[in-house]
Amino acid sequence: MKRLLMGFVTFVTILLFSVSCYYDNEEALYPSLNSSCDTTNVTFSAKIVPILANNCLSCHSNSTAASSGNNIRLQNYIDVKARTVAIAGSIKHSGTFSPMPKNGVKLNACLIKLVDIWIRNGALDN
Amino acid sequence: MISSGAFAQEDLMDLLNNKTTDEINYATATFKSTRVMNGHSVERMPPGQLDFRISHRFGKLNSGLYEFFGLDQSSIHLSLEYGILKWLMIGIGRGTYEKTFDGFTKFTILRQSSGARNMPVSVSALSSVAVTSVKWPDPDRTNYFSSRLSYVQQLLVARKVNQSFSVQIAPTFVHRNLVSTELDPNDLYAIGAGGRIKLTKRISFNAEYYYTVNQRSYMSQTVYNPLSVGFDIETGGHVFQLIFTNSLAMIEKGFIGETTGSWKKGDIHFGFNISRVFTLKN
Repeated sequence: MKRLLMGFVTFVTILLFSVSCYYDNEEALYPSLNSSCDTTNVTFSAKIVPILANNCLSCHSNSTAASSGNNIRLQNYIDVKARTVAIAGSIKHSGTFSPMPKNGVKLNACLIKLVDIWIRNGALDN
Repeated sequence: MISSGAFAQEDLMDLLNNKTTDEINYATATFKSTRVMNGHSVERMPPGQLDFRISHRFGKLNSGLYEFFGLDQSSIHLSLEYGILKWLMIGIGRGTYEKTFDGFTKFTILRQSSGARNMPVSVSALSSVAVTSVKWPDPDRTNYFSSRLSYVQQLLVARKVNQSFSVQIAPTFVHRNLVSTELDPNDLYAIGAGGRIKLTKRISFNAEYYYTVNQRSYMSQTVYNPLSVGFDIETGGHVFQLIFTNSLAMIEKGFIGETTGSWKKGDIHFGFNISRVFTLKN
C-alpha cells in the first residue's frame, strides 16, 4: 500500500513538473484582439456613449433606472463618471461587482478595453 | 572522604543531565490545523490520517440586508488530505472560485525541538498546482490547457513561542501561466505572516496576512493583499475555523494576487473551515 502510494506521488510529481511554465498574457497571445480593436480617439462621446447606449441604457437610462436598473443611472456623464470603478468591475465579471449585462454574456474584449482606456485616461467628458 | 562524596554527587548530576539531554522534545501543535486561516500552516497530517476539509466563504458583509449580509451567496472548497509518511502529506481539492481543481504536497524539513537537539523553528515546504476548469470566455480563440495552470511554491517557517502563542512567516512564489494583460505579472512574490493566540483550552485567535512584493499600482484589475482573522475551535476530531477575510478564494493562487475585496470598503467575507480527521491506518 505504501509503495503504491509513493509510486502515485512520484508519478503525479513528474507529471506536474513535465508541464513547463508559460509566461503568457491574453493581449500578446491573442493579438487579433488588438488589431481589430480601434483604440485610437477613445473619447466619451465617440466610444463610451455608444457602448452604454447599446448595452446598458435599456435598464440604466434616466427613465428606466428606477424600475429596472436598481436606481443606477448611466445616461449622463456625471453619473457615469461617479461609477467608473463599478462599471469596470461589472463588465469584467471580476466578482467584486454585480456582473453586467445582467444575465447576459460578457461584452467582447474590445469594448471592455475601450472602457478601460477611457477610465485610465481620467474618465474625461470629451 | 569529602572529595569522594563530591565525586559521587557529580556523577549523579551527570546522570541526571545525561537523562534530560538525551531526549528530544519536539514542539507539538504549533497550529491546530493544517491551515492558519486561508493559507497553510507548518502542520501536516500524521501518517495514516485522512483530513476531510469543508470550507465556505459567504458573500460580502457590505452587500446589505437584501443579500442577508452575504449569506445568500456561498463559495466552497472541499478537499481530502492525507499523511503518507512522518514528514510527507498530500492533498487534492476542488473550489468554486474559477471552478478550480488543486493538488499539493507538503513536507516537513525541520521540526522545532529542545533538549538533545535544539532547533528554534519548524520548517515545511509546500508545492501546489491549480487547474481552473471554468469555461473560456471566448471559446472561438485557440485556448491552451497550459493557460489553466498555476503553481505555488511556499516555505513555511513557524515557531511555537510558548504554550499559547505561535507565529509563522511564509515566503511564497506564485506562477500563473496566463494573465490578462502585459501589466499583470505572471510571477508573484509574496510574504505571508500568521499567528495564533490561545484564548482557552479549545479556542484560539488566528490572524494571517499576505504581502505581495511585486504588486503594481495599475493592473487590469485592482487587487488587495489578503487579511484574514478568526477563531479556531477544537472539538474532539473536528477543528472549526471561523473566518473573516477579504478574499473569496481559498487556495494560494486565488487569495494572493487575485483578491479584489478591500477591508476598508467593507468587502469582508464571513466563512468557516471544518476539518474532520479519519484514522485510516494506525
